[in-house]
Amino acid sequence: MAEQKPVSELSYKEASQELERIIRALESGDMELEESLESYTRGVELLRSLRERLADAEQKVSVLMKDVDGNDTLVDAAPADTSDELKL
Amino acid sequence: MGAWNLTGTSAPVQGAAKDALSVTQAVELAAGALDALPQITMLGEVTGFRGPNARSGHCYFQIKDDASAVDCIVWRGVYAKCAFELRDGMQVLLTGGFNLYKPTGRMSFVARSLALAGEGLLRQQVAALAEKLRREGLMDDARKRRIPAFCTRVAVVTSLSGAVIDDVKRTLRRRNPLVELVCVGAKVQGDGAPAELIEGLARAAALVPAPDCILLVRGGGSFEDLMTFNDEELARAVAACPVPVVTGIGHEPDTSICDMVSDRRCSTPTAAAESVAPAITELADLLAAREHRLATATTGMVQAARRDLAMQAQRTRQAISASLAQERRTVEGFARHGCLTSPGYLIERRASELAQTSDRLERAAARSQERVVRAVADLSMRLRAAGPRVTATRPALDLAASRLEAAGDTLLGGRRAALGAQAAKLDALSPLKVLARGYAIAYDAHGVATSARDFAPGDALRVRFGDGEVTGTVTTVEDNG
Repeated sequence: MAEQKPVSELSYKEASQELERIIRALESGDMELEESLESYTRGVELLRSLRERLADAEQKVSVLMKDVDGNDTLVDAAPADTSDELKL
Repeated sequence: MGAWNLTGTSAPVQGAAKDALSVTQAVELAAGALDALPQITMLGEVTGFRGPNARSGHCYFQIKDDASAVDCIVWRGVYAKCAFELRDGMQVLLTGGFNLYKPTGRMSFVARSLALAGEGLLRQQVAALAEKLRREGLMDDARKRRIPAFCTRVAVVTSLSGAVIDDVKRTLRRRNPLVELVCVGAKVQGDGAPAELIEGLARAAALVPAPDCILLVRGGGSFEDLMTFNDEELARAVAACPVPVVTGIGHEPDTSICDMVSDRRCSTPTAAAESVAPAITELADLLAAREHRLATATTGMVQAARRDLAMQAQRTRQAISASLAQERRTVEGFARHGCLTSPGYLIERRASELAQTSDRLERAAARSQERVVRAVADLSMRLRAAGPRVTATRPALDLAASRLEAAGDTLLGGRRAALGAQAAKLDALSPLKVLARGYAIAYDAHGVATSARDFAPGDALRVRFGDGEVTGTVTTVEDNG
């Protein structure tokens, strides 16, 4: 198996795609047992990380502004105000 | 004018009547006045339009504004040249003149040409532009790019001051806070709006890292308000944008050229925002499903490995026990040999055979003895039984014997005498008798010698006399012949 990035360095999408790949490889049944157990361990790790990210997700909003030199620059902005929404 | 005469008898026609025109004259007067008017171009709204007359193909409707309305006629030939279809509510420019239909006195405006005006004109222009871009292939499904199911970085090009940007932010925060939003401000209506939007698209597409898609959105408004998104340059910029563009412009029935050329058209800004990422609950469901698949697949692998192992163990056991059984059979085969099971066996077998032979011998001897004894007894019995018969026949036998003896004597007597005579004669002729008289017979090696020449000195010589023989060797031979 290719060298793996630590799960924390993966984006949600990367982690999600890797998890799907692992599951498909496991489901194909073509793996050696040792490899499949390693994959399983990695899969569980990815799953846990993805769950945590879902639970802790905070909206990130930025605005593309022109600075004094006229260059585009990203400025952090407030996430949506959801105080008027019903909390579930 | 005189007072009404209620009795019904008319008052005599007064002088004014002499000047009265007939209806026809009056109508013709009016018609002439109308004909004298120059050609008129009139702007108004179509109403009461029910399509061209089924039989004649001419169009009859009214055209109105806030205060007035007038009947309107478009002859079939004129309507056929028209590039659009009339509809109630349309603002149109009608060019033509008034006409009075004398049989009814109704006045109508007869249009010699007609053109769209206001929104109708705009819509016609938009439709023409849409057709042009469609012909160029900008709306082909084949060139529309796929929007990732889960866009994690999304640029929003719209006005930063309106409610729309908040709607998008709120929608995505609620639906999926993992989607990162980059807001790019641009005017969405009025002069210069298309240019700002084009620039906004370019700035959004140039973001690093690039967004997964660009939301080009605007809230609802009038047709004229939304005209910005029917701008040809903006439409071309949307089609050419290096990042896929999702549009949500106005409300449900509104469709702009930008919508037609974008990679995905949504009916509202909110719908556009919702379309770029799955709800977080779906992601949670997906993760739950994946967790299940992960566990199932791994359990399956382990179970399969365990089954393989158990099967191999079973096969190994079977192989070993089969091999051992084979060895055991071989050893047992050896062990069954008599020489090993019982060393005395061979001797015993021989002894047994001998004993059997001995028994047979004894039995045979006994049977043989019995047979002899029985035969002797039998013979003895037969002998005893025969004894009386012998006694009874003895006298006859004795008689027969004496008769036989007598017959024999008789028979032999003559013969004996003849035989005696012949014997005497034979005796007289016998060489032995001659020898007895002093003659001898000489024999050489070959037999009786009848000549002295049969001999040579040194030969063996035998001489037979009547009472014996002499043997010697010849010393001399004298030939007297």
